[in-house]
Amino acid sequence: MTESSCGYSGDREEALVAHVYNDGDPVAREAFDAHLAQCVRCRDELDALRGVRAQLGQWAPPEAGFAVISPGRQSWWRDVPAWAQVAAALLFLGVSAGIANLDVRYDANGLSVRTGWSKPAAPAPVARSAPSAPGEGTAAPWRADLAALERQLKNELRATQVSAAEGAPAPHAVSASDADLVRRVRALLDVSEKRQQRELALRVAEVLRDVNSQRQADLVKIDRSLGAVQNNLGVEVMKQRQSLNLLYRASQRQ
Amino acid sequence: MTWTDEELVARTISGDADSFNQLVLRWERPIYALAYRTIGREEDARDVCQETFLRAFRALPGFRGQAKFSSWLYRIALNLCRDWSRRERRAPVVQAPEGVDLMDLAAAAEPSESIEDLVARKDLTRAVERAMALLPEEQRTAIVLKEYHGLTFQEIADLVGCPLSTVKTRLYQGLTVLRRELAKNTKALL
Repeated sequence: MTESSCGYSGDREEALVAHVYNDGDPVAREAFDAHLAQCVRCRDELDALRGVRAQLGQWAPPEAGFAVISPGRQSWWRDVPAWAQVAAALLFLGVSAGIANLDVRYDANGLSVRTGWSKPAAPAPVARSAPSAPGEGTAAPWRADLAALERQLKNELRATQVSAAEGAPAPHAVSASDADLVRRVRALLDVSEKRQQRELALRVAEVLRDVNSQRQADLVKIDRSLGAVQNNLGVEVMKQRQSLNLLYRASQRQ
Repeated sequence: MTWTDEELVARTISGDADSFNQLVLRWERPIYALAYRTIGREEDARDVCQETFLRAFRALPGFRGQAKFSSWLYRIALNLCRDWSRRERRAPVVQAPEGVDLMDLAAAAEPSESIEDLVARKDLTRAVERAMALLPEEQRTAIVLKEYHGLTFQEIADLVGCPLSTVKTRLYQGLTVLRRELAKNTKALL
């Protein structure tokens, strides 16, 4: 066989591709192997195709630098009805406002908003039988709502006790029961308030952690970019040096 | 425990959204790479990648498992790439802006790599990108699927819907064009 001619009986192109990718019928491959031993042209072309493959291997796509937002990852929140999302948002705002001691007033002096820990709410009397006026004794509006709820519960409980006993219980017994109920409700409120404070602190800590990690990532990015710029500069310097060397050699020859 | 693609698909269909997340994590990079090498634009490749998984998620209940999940995903991605090419009515431009390309290469370079090696690698990458951009879409797709995703001839034939012999012919013709173009580039560097 000479370099210019090839006597392979099958489809030469298909055989070359199958060989270079090692994919295809093993019997056909063996037959082509036997042919290769004799055909310089096919051997050369095979080597060239392998060389192309080696060069193709150098082509890597740039880093995506992102993660696909999977539809499955967001479905849990999308599944929550809109009204529930609104309710959750309002609850969060209400709790935040309560914890922050938010005090909104509109009086003769105009609208005033105060917040912060510097003005803690005045402790309410433990066994308060009469409702307090809005803003009296408690600073936050939600305390007034809770007091109203507390009153309602007490009244309902008292009515239940009266109807169950079918007779007037001793006044001191009712008072003792009320005081106990109030104590328990307040204990529950305290626990709830502490839990909410802990949750808020947790959220704040999470936000701080996220901000911090983002800052770290930005710093790393800046550092890498600076390194890249330095490399870039190095490339330019090298090119300049090569040009100078070339000029120098050319001038030496002359 | 590592689930197979097909198991994760079944779990996703039965309502386990986290299984689909695992499929995304497993396949997002190959799909992005396929899209980038096919259409040659980073931003558009990202969009195609995102859209591929979105369509797959929507169509998953109809996935009957006749083909491998990866082949099915590749087909969605390739269809989107084809749509992109038709919509844009332009040849893929694989060459990134000069500064960006060098920056990325420099950033990705290992400390042991010399500047000379870096420049040579950058030149070769550009040459490959330019040569690939010259190929007709069918040849480019065949080469990308074979070279970078390791699909068999038969899988490529099934994926693009053509006979096995056509796949081999496209590969041969594509490799021949690349050989010629890369040789030109080598001569130009000398």
